[in-house]
Amino acid sequence: MDIQFIGENLLPGKLGQFFIVLSFVASLLSTISYFLAVKNKDEQNKSWTKLGRIGFLVNVGSIIGIGITLFYLILNHYFEYYYVYHHSSKTLPVYYIVSAFWEGQEGSFWLWAFWQSILGAILIWKAKTWENGVMTVIAFSQVFLTSMLLGVEIFGQRIGSSPFILLREAEDLKSMAPVVFADPENFKNYLKFIVDGKGLNPLLQNYWMVIHPPTLFLGFASMVVPFAYGIAALWTRRYKDWVKPVLPWTLFAVMILGTGIIMGSFWAYEALNFGGFWAWDPVENASIIPWLTLIAGVHVLIAYKNTGHAFFTAMALMLMSFILVLYASFLTRSGILGDTSVHSFTDLGMFGHLIAYILAFVIISVYFITTRWNELPITHKDEETYSREFWMFIGALVVTVACLQVIVTTSYPVFNKIFGTSKLLSNPIEYYNKWQAGFAFLVTLISGFSQYLKYKRTDPRRFYSSLISSIVFSIVLTALFVYFTKVYTKPMYILLTFSCLFAILSNARLLTGVFSSKGSKLAGSAIAHIGFAVLLLGALVAAATSKPVSINESNFIAVKDFEKNQKPGENIMLYKNEPKKMGNYTITYVSDTTIEPNTFYKLNFKVFDKEGKVKEDFDVNPSIQENGKMGLIASPDTKHYLTTDIYTHITSAAEKKEEHGDHEGHSEEENYKAPRIVTLAVGDTIHTSSGVLTVNPINRNPVVKDLKLAPGDLAIGLPLEVNVSGKIYKTEPLFLVKGNNTFDFARKIEELGLRLRFTKVLPDQNKFEVQVYEKPQQAKDWIVFKSIEFPFINLYWVGTIIMVVGFLISIFRRKKELKTS
Amino acid sequence: MRKSAIIGLITIAICIGFLVSLNAETDTYSNFIEASSSNKEEHVIGHWEKNKGTHYDALKDPNHFAFYMKDEKGDVKKVVLNGTKPQDFERSEKLVVIGKMENETFYASKILMKCPSKYNDEMVEISQDGQVKPYKKS
Repeated sequence: MDIQFIGENLLPGKLGQFFIVLSFVASLLSTISYFLAVKNKDEQNKSWTKLGRIGFLVNVGSIIGIGITLFYLILNHYFEYYYVYHHSSKTLPVYYIVSAFWEGQEGSFWLWAFWQSILGAILIWKAKTWENGVMTVIAFSQVFLTSMLLGVEIFGQRIGSSPFILLREAEDLKSMAPVVFADPENFKNYLKFIVDGKGLNPLLQNYWMVIHPPTLFLGFASMVVPFAYGIAALWTRRYKDWVKPVLPWTLFAVMILGTGIIMGSFWAYEALNFGGFWAWDPVENASIIPWLTLIAGVHVLIAYKNTGHAFFTAMALMLMSFILVLYASFLTRSGILGDTSVHSFTDLGMFGHLIAYILAFVIISVYFITTRWNELPITHKDEETYSREFWMFIGALVVTVACLQVIVTTSYPVFNKIFGTSKLLSNPIEYYNKWQAGFAFLVTLISGFSQYLKYKRTDPRRFYSSLISSIVFSIVLTALFVYFTKVYTKPMYILLTFSCLFAILSNARLLTGVFSSKGSKLAGSAIAHIGFAVLLLGALVAAATSKPVSINESNFIAVKDFEKNQKPGENIMLYKNEPKKMGNYTITYVSDTTIEPNTFYKLNFKVFDKEGKVKEDFDVNPSIQENGKMGLIASPDTKHYLTTDIYTHITSAAEKKEEHGDHEGHSEEENYKAPRIVTLAVGDTIHTSSGVLTVNPINRNPVVKDLKLAPGDLAIGLPLEVNVSGKIYKTEPLFLVKGNNTFDFARKIEELGLRLRFTKVLPDQNKFEVQVYEKPQQAKDWIVFKSIEFPFINLYWVGTIIMVVGFLISIFRRKKELKTS
Repeated sequence: MRKSAIIGLITIAICIGFLVSLNAETDTYSNFIEASSSNKEEHVIGHWEKNKGTHYDALKDPNHFAFYMKDEKGDVKKVVLNGTKPQDFERSEKLVVIGKMENETFYASKILMKCPSKYNDEMVEISQDGQVKPYKKS
């Protein structure tokens, strides 16, 4: 029997689903047409290309259609849709609706498909002779991405997951609230019971989350372009001339993905209490792996362009990078990472689907490489040791090996799954840092001295003599730098400082000739190298010398010998308005303000000089959010100086919930202040400390479990609602006349610390007596917080900006080359 | 010997190097009995023994959080964390405590919690009066 549900808006969902199917079919059509266009040998006949274009543009249109529909649903709070219900709420500000849009898997797949379709459209316009081959690959990739959104069942197997699924289809409403929905009338009207959505994960309620995912996904999406050019080059046997068009695209992908990754790192630093900017979390690793291989790919490609060597390596790195993007999305989206990562998505049953996506593109790559193997322009000559291409090649190799280390380590949950083991990494961050520091040392060293080498061959004596001054100068600078930043605790730190400074100097030397034609050509790469080295230096100093400043000086721990195997405490407790000394700082917990749903704590930091005068005085405002979905969420606040950051987050705060149970010797009421006794009529309102209480018409037939009413007995329910800045809490205390006695059943609203009794009926006045119990404020508020000092972290951000500028310059240069040739 | 061969060998050597070191750095989960006889940091998997509650008094010491945990073998031991009470501790389904065992008490330097997934949304319960609440299993 079909149930007619009331109040649902089904049309937009149907429209959205139609767009999904249309985009899938259109991309399939486009793939086939472009494929036949490549196969077609008749130069004059462009009909297949035209059909491919139409297919792809329809795909672009319908992808935009999906986006608009989904946005419309979220904006209008249509909670009958699963996606809307789970990712947004009515209280969500409009600008965060954008982040709600891509909180879920489906939304992020849409974002990816959207960028890929835009890039495809640009390629249709710009790729000229490459269009057919390149677009076949991109449209094929689009087939996979759109199929992830399909959410239709084929042979009992659900393909993809649609954002337009209804809540009642996705979840068993009846099991959610068996009592209410047992009544078919209520069930039909289920939407009435769904007051609000689940809301957006509070960690994502940050302005970086509005901008970081689109950038990252544009980066991921643009990785398909070098791949597509690579396949097209192999397919149509244009081994030489793919280099020029692919270079700007590759640089673009590297630049955007790099920016996206660092934005994520900035978000982690600003909003998450990871206690840092990089945690080697699997999701972070998954995005940096393809970035590293593509960086290696760019270098080998340039070497190939200039010398004709290393064609195969360049091609392999290009192809591999995209496959690694797919692997990364498999890791984060299949649920395989399980509990090793804080921010992997949950499994939506896409395990097989994601593997199919990877396999399809691996097979394409392997097929073309093997069938073309004998024709590939592979040289068998060893490169000169004193040549730039040789060291570019070695540099790329180091990057690839570094990347391999990250892949293997990140993938151990995959190995666990395959071999049925349950291995775990005890100290991942240290482990990664240990290995990656070594690789970073080699890479920066090579990026420094290879600037003194020419392509083909350099005279060794000239090479060494020009190198020596930079080395000496770098050593002096290293000594100064290490002394001032105090990173001399480990030899590896000193080595890395040296290699970074050396890279900066060697590349900066190229910039002196920037106004000559040769110098300006190299400016882009030199600036990007400098940026990268500065970034590493910033990461090194911040990671090596960051230290908690909130050292618990009393360090009182009740357990004997506890300190022996533990670090001294890094958290400090503060009472409101009682200053405490912490290192140089005197800290006061000044006040707190609650702006639903966040509570902001104002902490004042002061530094006094020897005479007791205030040298520095600033406030930080870390916040916590009591969130039904995730519990207590702490967001740090940071005081930025030019040379250091003071990063503070709340680890614990006075809870307003402690209470006595209703057991012997204690009564419930001890938890509350003395009640207010009020007489109210229907429609009356009174103010409580948490919100406005309204009396609704009485309920003459309240249902009470285990209560038998004899004839003559009377039970009345008094429905009350409390409005807390728009959020409604309902409850219904009972009044009962049984035999000759009156009873009442109190009701509590835990969240508001309210207890309500319905104690008397005053029939002559048509009023009711209600007792309002409220909880007292805590006697004294306190917080526990942790502060960490990050010295020189600004180098990390500055380095990023320099690097992006370098990439931009390079892109323009390579584009110019494309035009002039 | 050709240069490329030498480079290839070095690369392979490095790769083997990190595979070996990865194997050395990884560990398997242990339990309280194994942990008591071990000198290094152990990862013990288990779940919070709810009826014994938790002890955290920030007023006394903000870096001391104690509770009882039942490991996979069924042993219940006291666990002391040098740190604040983790957010959302009560909601944890599974715990991994990392630290050392001493005199029947496990001193943890770190606790990993498996909550009903931070990104996974748990069920909701719509109570009789139409109020929507998170659905609590058991």
